Amino acid sequence: MSVIEPRPRPLEEQITLIELVDRVLNAGVVVHGDITLAVADVDLVYVGLRVLLASASTLDRLAATGDSK
Amino acid sequence: MISAPARTGWYVYGVVGESAAASAETQAMTRSGVGSHGVRVIRAGNLAALASEVPLDDFGDDVLPERLNDPDWLERNARAHDDVLEAVLDDASVVPFRFGTIYLDRSEVGTMLDDRRDELERALERIEGRVELGVKAFADRSRVEESLRNRSGDDAGDEGGGAGTAYLLRRQRERRLEAEAEALSTEIVARAHEALRSVADAARVNRPQPPELSGRSDRMLLNASYLVARGDGRLSAEVRRLADEHRDHGITFEVTGPWPAYNFVGAEEPE
Repeated sequence: MSVIEPRPRPLEEQITLIELVDRVLNAGVVVHGDITLAVADVDLVYVGLRVLLASASTLDRLAATGDSK
Repeated sequence: MISAPARTGWYVYGVVGESAAASAETQAMTRSGVGSHGVRVIRAGNLAALASEVPLDDFGDDVLPERLNDPDWLERNARAHDDVLEAVLDDASVVPFRFGTIYLDRSEVGTMLDDRRDELERALERIEGRVELGVKAFADRSRVEESLRNRSGDDAGDEGGGAGTAYLLRRQRERRLEAEAEALSTEIVARAHEALRSVADAARVNRPQPPELSGRSDRMLLNASYLVARGDGRLSAEVRRLADEHRDHGITFEVTGPWPAYNFVGAEEPE
């Protein structure tokens, strides 16, 4: 397997959680399976996400002040 | 307790083309997906879906909304969804499906591939050899205003006149500064997006996340995704250049990825 680009990891791992959820739940091909998430379900996610942010935002601030590449 | 056999469904992560199906299979077999379930490759003609057999006790439509509201569950499984797609990303193009697409029977996954073949092939063609990079720009309002003050040499000096007049003049100056800061930030970000778009194959601008979601006090002004050739470093270099250029203006840029092309496979045409 060829290595193409270095993948950003540890610190960004946390920070990009919101980015990740934004992609995984709000983008991508929408195919109506037997079970498909409704928009209302996705809205629920954002309520839950605020809980996560308590920890993520701390790291985010650290990264913002650091020398981010 | 008497238990009936657990009902299961097939959770679909995304779709790869025929040429990538074999390597995807090798990659998929070595890792687990949502709910730590194994990943399988389901083929139909020249397309192959990456899927996991999942218990409906966890992924049924009666419980899924509730599960989504559990941050730990969400984080674990959103990451698992992305990890499965990223595992094949180095070797192949993959069309990501939205989280939570589930079929009750394995054969229905094949039927879906047949039914959506044209659309999926077009999406694969569009993203062939490409990855998505995310770029966000944030404005630190007070630093933007400070940069304007420095630029105009506008010191908050004594204006003369009575205390009331001085107050009014100060308020006026503050409001003008706020408006100028807003205009400057907007202009910088618009120009940045144009510069980034010029080194990308496609671009998509999403709504900026509100502060309670972005988790930071700086206001998000740009939340965009760019489609670039795998291994092409121009966009990252451009973001670094923009970050250097605008650091003193109070505008910061962040780049994430490479991601599977989540924002470039939808039905609606990207910008």
